Amino acid sequence: MTATLAISGWGVLSAAGTGAQEFAGTLAGAAPSRAADVTAMFEEPLPQDRAHALVGFDVRAHLGRKGTSFFDRSTALALVACGQALADTDLEVGEANTGRVGIALGTTTGSLKASSDYSRETLVNEKSYLVNPILFPNTVMNCASGQAAIWYKLKGVNATIAGGPLAALSALRYARNAISRGYADALLVGAVEEFSPHTAWLTEQLYPEAAGRVPTGEGAAVFVVEAADADRAGRRQPDAEVLALEVGEFAPPGEMPDPASGLAAVIRRALAAADVNAAAVELIVTGESGVPELDAVERDAIAATVPGAPRLLPVKHFTGEARAASGALQIAAVLAHHRADPARDGAVSVVTACSPDGSVGAAVLRGWSRGDGTGQSR
Amino acid sequence: MSRRVVITGLGPVSSIGTGVAAFETALRAGRSGISPISSFDASGFPHRNAGEVTDFDPKGLLHTLDVDAWGRTSLFAAAAARLAVQDSGIDPDVLSGSRAGSSMGTTSGESQVIEAITGQWVRQGWQQSAGAPAAQYPASRLAVAVNRELGLTGEAITLSTACSASNYALGYAYDQILTGAADYMVAGGADSVARWAHAGFFRLGALTKERCSPFDAGRSGILHGEGGAALFLETLESAQARGANIYAELLGYGLNCDAGHMVAPDPVSIAACMRLAHRNAGIYASDVDYICAHGTGTPANDAVEYRAVRDVFGHRTPPISSIKSMLGHAMGAASGFGAIASALAIHSGFLPPTINFTAADPEMTDIDPVPNVARQTRVDVVQNNGFAFGGNNAITILGRAT
Repeated sequence: MTATLAISGWGVLSAAGTGAQEFAGTLAGAAPSRAADVTAMFEEPLPQDRAHALVGFDVRAHLGRKGTSFFDRSTALALVACGQALADTDLEVGEANTGRVGIALGTTTGSLKASSDYSRETLVNEKSYLVNPILFPNTVMNCASGQAAIWYKLKGVNATIAGGPLAALSALRYARNAISRGYADALLVGAVEEFSPHTAWLTEQLYPEAAGRVPTGEGAAVFVVEAADADRAGRRQPDAEVLALEVGEFAPPGEMPDPASGLAAVIRRALAAADVNAAAVELIVTGESGVPELDAVERDAIAATVPGAPRLLPVKHFTGEARAASGALQIAAVLAHHRADPARDGAVSVVTACSPDGSVGAAVLRGWSRGDGTGQSR
Repeated sequence: MSRRVVITGLGPVSSIGTGVAAFETALRAGRSGISPISSFDASGFPHRNAGEVTDFDPKGLLHTLDVDAWGRTSLFAAAAARLAVQDSGIDPDVLSGSRAGSSMGTTSGESQVIEAITGQWVRQGWQQSAGAPAAQYPASRLAVAVNRELGLTGEAITLSTACSASNYALGYAYDQILTGAADYMVAGGADSVARWAHAGFFRLGALTKERCSPFDAGRSGILHGEGGAALFLETLESAQARGANIYAELLGYGLNCDAGHMVAPDPVSIAACMRLAHRNAGIYASDVDYICAHGTGTPANDAVEYRAVRDVFGHRTPPISSIKSMLGHAMGAASGFGAIASALAIHSGFLPPTINFTAADPEMTDIDPVPNVARQTRVDVVQNNGFAFGGNNAITILGRAT
């Protein structure tokens, strides 16, 4: 039996806001704000002066000085988002269930800056091996999930999924399996991506021709995920149920097998698994980023599968191209639309994603407000 | 009726041999795959040996992928997957038309691509580097490469849980078949030798110079390894229906997290992971005939693994050997190679040796590391250990398919 997942709390860090309330507020606004001036963030040159980066982010302001000084930016962002999610849920996490609560975090390749800077040291140092051993674990992709386990004392299933734009959907699928199979009771599930000269330059080089591309971004979003049919006596309505999570592998846009037809099949499969009529879909949060050939995959697939005109929200226009974090920020956008709006209780939303390699995915969620209209916990 | 998951194809691309026949021969012979590093200029390093796949021939092994469009680690993954599928004997067209996907583990993903990009940044400046590698660095491409090579349109998941990642990948693939979410899965892992990890392990004091000698009194560290390991999984029913050769059954797995220290393993947590794996696989500790050790060869790690094993198995500890003595530490592929060796141990009836063994550690004289020479014996159940940075423990249990 595959469990339906419930989300009982969440955290988010992005240029569109830190924490559920602020993020929800920004998305409720009319237009995305202008990307921030990032010229003072790094010594290295950047391809653009503006990005949807968390310019003033300082992990010490969130987690204190002790134990945080060697965190890479991805780890820091992930830990703060995990902390927010744990503070937002009504699930008790403590001594009694530490072995049954875990983490599944999505990434592109961990902290690219940590790995690349380490590699750089071996090239520019007079002695190639004189690297800093304390920073070595930051170069390994499971650094954020390992540190989060230590910080929040979570001894259960601990996984890192390298999935790029699909990472959050894959992490949710991983968590759903772990919970369905009885390996864990709850997981912190999400994804993270950092902004650095490294990610900025590589994102720039991927699509030099796309003039309308959204700025590079960064962020993290983390959800507390449990089985929807778990005993919830005395607890509030979850923020959302994840009704379906479907993925598939096709070819890059323009090659066969066609990713747009592939995504259409994936969306149909997801709606069927969710037992939801396409006409009932009210909101679709896409991964569109202003790269025409990739955006067309999602647009074509949606047009072919969801008739009528549900509202489309390309959330990257608010958050920037945050790579692996994007999928998690898309799901956070669905939750944000429910948080303070009881009129939308029970509404169905779809999240779609497509990678440059032709990996596609779709999630179907049903969300609820926090009940009192303020978005605050009851 | 619950589905059972069996292993019907093996695809090793390793420093001791590519393809199941060469790999088994090397395991039985106790062959070392260690050689002077050639993938980067190691002359500035005090230690200059690793287990590189010096004869890797992606063009010769791959049918579909354009090798210039993919990084070395993705090519390892795809080549291993192609070999596993060939070994399974399944019709590739039947496979690509089925509900099939891949699940691959890694530590450093496309490390050589990231190092190439970094080299361009260092030499030519940030603005000048070429565009192609920018598409090749995401670690997600390992599993994507497997699906693309084989024409699979099911899920392609890359698990980057460091040095136990192949066991994570095998476990996830096992569940996909067990629950009916997929009918065929390719699972394993891949990694490439990289300068930055070589430097990091050296500075951690974890790297040895000449030979890796796990469980030995004089052991002094790991040697960096690389390669691709893939296993082809399907249901017992499917394997029997097509008359496939069944190497072993995947009985289950256990995962937990130390949540204590990023690099120092915790024997209590590792012992708990072993018990979890036994419970999930429906076996008792006394059923285990052989432990394919994580056995990195560092003084501390082997001591911790020993303590955990002794805690769980007591005086009835089965033989425990480390194939890293031959392969070096292939990082995210390591427990995939361990799973392949475990399947071969069951299928062909032998224990792979721990080579470079000279004298027992006085602190662990009561274990049998299968010193230096492979041993013919019947093996029914194997425990395949995988531990990692981040405290990511993952153990798979393989058994004879009866």
